[in-house]
Amino acid sequence: MLLALQIFILVNVLLIGLLAPYIYHHAKAHFKPDEHAHPEPTDAVLPEEVKARLLKESETKFEASVAQSITQLQHNLDTTTSDINNLVKKMAVEVVSKELEQYREGLAKLHAEAQKDLGGFKDTMQGHEAEFKAQLAEDMKLEKEKMIKQIDTKLGDAVSSFLLETLGRNVDLGTQGTYLMSVLEEHKAEFKKEVDDEQPTT
Amino acid sequence: MSNQLPESIISLQDLKAVIVEVRGYARWYSQYSVKARVSKTAPASQPPAVSAAAAELISQWAKDQPTAKTMDKLLEELQDIVTKSPRVTITLAAPAPLSLQKTLVEWCRKNITPSILVSFRFNSTLLGGMVVQHGSHVYDWSFRRQILANGPKFSEALRHV
Repeated sequence: MLLALQIFILVNVLLIGLLAPYIYHHAKAHFKPDEHAHPEPTDAVLPEEVKARLLKESETKFEASVAQSITQLQHNLDTTTSDINNLVKKMAVEVVSKELEQYREGLAKLHAEAQKDLGGFKDTMQGHEAEFKAQLAEDMKLEKEKMIKQIDTKLGDAVSSFLLETLGRNVDLGTQGTYLMSVLEEHKAEFKKEVDDEQPTT
Repeated sequence: MSNQLPESIISLQDLKAVIVEVRGYARWYSQYSVKARVSKTAPASQPPAVSAAAAELISQWAKDQPTAKTMDKLLEELQDIVTKSPRVTITLAAPAPLSLQKTLVEWCRKNITPSILVSFRFNSTLLGGMVVQHGSHVYDWSFRRQILANGPKFSEALRHV
């Protein structure tokens, strides 16, 4: 905006510079007419009517000349104003375009950063997901093994209880004599060692 | 002890009962021998009735010629057995018949130590086998323990059916 203002001021100065000599020339011609161009009439030659007519004609010409200058100045001012407006518009468009471009670049940069962060977050989430899945699978496996073990234990307990309940009423030591002797023979060494170790020495 | 315990003496209670009998017999024999020396004829007094185990012990120890000294020595030996002999308790699934008790005691005296004393008990929840206790050590060779210890194998066996 500062640059546009500077350009506007420069253009104005230029126009004033261009118009100043022209105005000066007309003003000089009006207020100080050239003595050499208009030789002083002699009162003796020109009658009063002629003088009045000439004066009037001069006034008319001067007014016409001023009007023409004003019209030209008005035209120049319109043109200059139009040019300045165009220039300001052009500069505004350039500035806005530049700002927009910077905005787009900033937006693109933010978008890229957001994408990068999002990508990192996505990777992290995928890592956690894989870890969670592995943990879940491990937990499921352990739970399954635990349940199978519990079922086996309960089944074993049920069968044991059944056997204890069923066999508990039918004990026949007469048929167990041989078995009892074989058990003693099997653990003979262990049993003897235990007794010998605890026997007091005499 | 120089002589082995008779097989009829199985437990500590049996031994203590035999000691009481032997002591009574020794007392009677002491009085009998004094009377015999004084009267120079055999007195008419009958010896106290003793169990077969006590009679066997007295017979083994005195060699059919008991004296007061030999009887005192026998009592000392028996008291020594009470004090020093190892004792085990065998628990079976049912009350053990005498034949089985004798078989087990015979095996113990032959294979473990000759003066071992055995007490028998029963616990029907054992189902079979036996539990042998010596001091603080317990050998559980019962069917119940085997069944409970092998519980997991039942489920394996069922899986293979």
